[in-house]
Amino acid sequence: MTVLTAGVVAVIFGSGAYLLLKPDLFRVVVGIVLVSNAATLALMASGLSRGDPPIAPGAGAEVSDPLVQAMTLTAIVIGFGVAVLLLALVYRIYTSHSTVDLDELSQAEARHEAELEREQVEV
Amino acid sequence: MTPSRLLSLGGVTLAGAGFVALLAVWLLGGGAVDLPWAPTLGSRLAFRVDGLAALYGLLATGIGLAVFVYARAYLPIHLAHQGRPEAHGVRLYAFLLLFLVSMVGLVTAQDVIVLFVFWDLTAIASYYLIGFDRQDERDRRAALMALLVTGASAVLLLVGVLILRDRYGTLAIDPILAAAEGDRATSTAAVLIAVAALAKSAQAPLHFWLPRAMVAPTPVSAYLHSAAMVAAGVFLLGRFHPLLREVPGLLEGLVAVGIASMAVGGVLALTRDELKQILAYSTVAQYGYVVFLLGLGTAASAAAASLYVLVHAGAKCALFLSAGAVTAATGENRLSRLGGLARPLPVLAGATGLAGAALAALPATAGFFADELFFGAALERGAAFAAVALASAALTLAYIGRFWTEIFLGARAVEADRLPALLVGPVVALAGLLLAAGFFAAPLARLARDAAETTWRAPVDVSLAYHLDARPENLLALATYALGAVLLVARRWWWPAALAAARVGERAGPERLYHGGLELLNRLSDRIHDVEVRDLRTRVAAVLVPASVLVALGVAVTGAAGVYTTGSIAADDVGLALVLSLAALAALAATFPRHHVTIALVLASGGLSLAVAYAFFGAPDVALVVVAVETMLGLALLGVFALLPRRVLRREARVPTSGRRRWRDPLVGVASAFFAFVLVWSALSRPAPDESIAAELTRLAPEAHAADVVTAVLADFRGLDTLVEITVLAVALLGVGALVRRRAA
Repeated sequence: MTVLTAGVVAVIFGSGAYLLLKPDLFRVVVGIVLVSNAATLALMASGLSRGDPPIAPGAGAEVSDPLVQAMTLTAIVIGFGVAVLLLALVYRIYTSHSTVDLDELSQAEARHEAELEREQVEV
Repeated sequence: MTPSRLLSLGGVTLAGAGFVALLAVWLLGGGAVDLPWAPTLGSRLAFRVDGLAALYGLLATGIGLAVFVYARAYLPIHLAHQGRPEAHGVRLYAFLLLFLVSMVGLVTAQDVIVLFVFWDLTAIASYYLIGFDRQDERDRRAALMALLVTGASAVLLLVGVLILRDRYGTLAIDPILAAAEGDRATSTAAVLIAVAALAKSAQAPLHFWLPRAMVAPTPVSAYLHSAAMVAAGVFLLGRFHPLLREVPGLLEGLVAVGIASMAVGGVLALTRDELKQILAYSTVAQYGYVVFLLGLGTAASAAAASLYVLVHAGAKCALFLSAGAVTAATGENRLSRLGGLARPLPVLAGATGLAGAALAALPATAGFFADELFFGAALERGAAFAAVALASAALTLAYIGRFWTEIFLGARAVEADRLPALLVGPVVALAGLLLAAGFFAAPLARLARDAAETTWRAPVDVSLAYHLDARPENLLALATYALGAVLLVARRWWWPAALAAARVGERAGPERLYHGGLELLNRLSDRIHDVEVRDLRTRVAAVLVPASVLVALGVAVTGAAGVYTTGSIAADDVGLALVLSLAALAALAATFPRHHVTIALVLASGGLSLAVAYAFFGAPDVALVVVAVETMLGLALLGVFALLPRRVLRREARVPTSGRRRWRDPLVGVASAFFAFVLVWSALSRPAPDESIAAELTRLAPEAHAADVVTAVLADFRGLDTLVEITVLAVALLGVGALVRRRAA
């Protein structure tokens, strides 16, 4: 089980890292979501015990580690906040640049800088 | 009273009180403080005033007192000369105070980690003090050089003491020294510690930072050269001497370094023109004496080293303060532009002459005794050592003679203003002490003996007296005076040779290596910076790839045998294994599709599989939250896609075909997956401890008025965490609102 969990975390993390390197900003956002999914799974799997749900424990049976659950809840919510903020940022980039492609954005930035320099020379 | 004056007064008080306190504790037979600090690491705040600590501590506080008094008069002149406000003095006084306190902490520390902390504090204080005139680039460079040379070598000290801890199982100095053996680990540690000490003491070939550091204001130079910083190096050698003795060949190495420093420092001091440069090279040579003596490795040489440090500190401090006073009075800092100052500044001339005489070991000063022990210790080891001692003592006499005669004798070259009493007073006081000790040497002898006994760990006999007979020490002293006088008189004959030697040193010296190394590092840093910040992708890769490489190195170095457990899949776990596999497959699948909607759906399916997995982990609450979050996230993604025109998304649906990235991106992905795998696997392989905090939390939950333990953790035990989390979420949502609304504008 240990190897399997570690392998699953690794696959999710690796897929996320791969998507992070894409020029498409939406894929970058998806990559970040995957990376934070990998983190929450690792956190959850590192609980010291597994058993009944701690929110409704049975009598006498072993209970799952409540601490990692609390932390995972925090992590999930923060991850969601980050993802939504990034989505809004990508949307904002689209409205001002009409593209969501990193390559095109950096080209536009280079053009813009060149223009500024030209203007300065003319002034 | 301005903060600057207040701090200066505080410095004077603290240095004076510290001196008296240390003196009292030493005379009463020593004292110790031992407080727990980091019990899990076995480190304690342990301090003790033993002989060695008394010697260096009294120097740090006593010289510190003289320096603080002198700075009260000197600093206003210095700052006014540069057109800076008086408030800038605060920095000087504050760091001088830090310097003083860390020196006392260093010499009394009985725990190697505490010792290292104070060792580094002296380097930090010296950095700010050397670079006090920060508007000047030369000063900043000098400060950086001192910090790099002494700071980088301080790391060697840390490594050394950690090796010792590994080998002897304790951080306390005394047990380590008592148990020291000459095995390989100890030898490595001893060599590292010795190198750190030699760099701090500005010994050849790491001496080059010290002459540069003389750009500091005079009180700083005086302190740095006599009682702090440079003295810390030989202190460390004295402290760890029992350990160094166990290592074959190390003491011989110290002798070689000492001789090299005496030669380099002595010859260069002869040829310099700038006052403080002469004194700086003289410091290199003089600490060369001490290193040489410690390298001789006899009881007599340990005693001689202790006495030498004491006498040198007093004399060198007086000489530096006097050089500063001369410059303050005339505005000149070069020998070639000075001369004949004995008439306008008779008191300073007399006091400086006494200090110089002590350094040159003339009779009736404490310096005579120091050189007597020096010659005695060298003779004990053989004629060759005595010859070296004779040569370097003659060199000392020659350059000090040149220093004094060219400032105070000869034709008047410049006008001199009247000097404030505070600039002359400390020089006179120090010279008076050196003179007094030339007649009543008993206190000096006792201090040197106690220090030598700490170094030597056995009774040492130190008796200082004049003997009017033809014993070899006296003959050597006489030979020194004769040779020194010849050197002074026959200057025309050796001057070109000495100048040429100095020039060769400048051309091919180790300083070039330092500058070359610095430039190389700079270029490397620029290259990495260029690669790293080119765009978002390289920045992400620049984090992931080195992390993977480091983890791989960690696994390769530490070995994996027995660390990892595979675990077993019980019958109950089959369901969990299946959903986990599903989540992994979904994540993999999210990397392939061209269309954005597909990606969003695959992502959501992966998230929901995780929710099921969490249910298997016994966490229905987490599972429910994941379902809610994944649903919202999926909807948000689809919503944004709907807002964008088709063509923008379609452009992104193309499969990237550019050649390099096609192979590079998956490679980075696989490497980072590998690093995540190793980290998570090794973490999960650790067996769960018998006791966990969970039981305690569960017990406490009802007392927190929570229905279940998870709520109690979130809302109470980690309530602040949750509060901050809510704030973050609120800020993020505010940001989203602002970003989306701006479309209208």
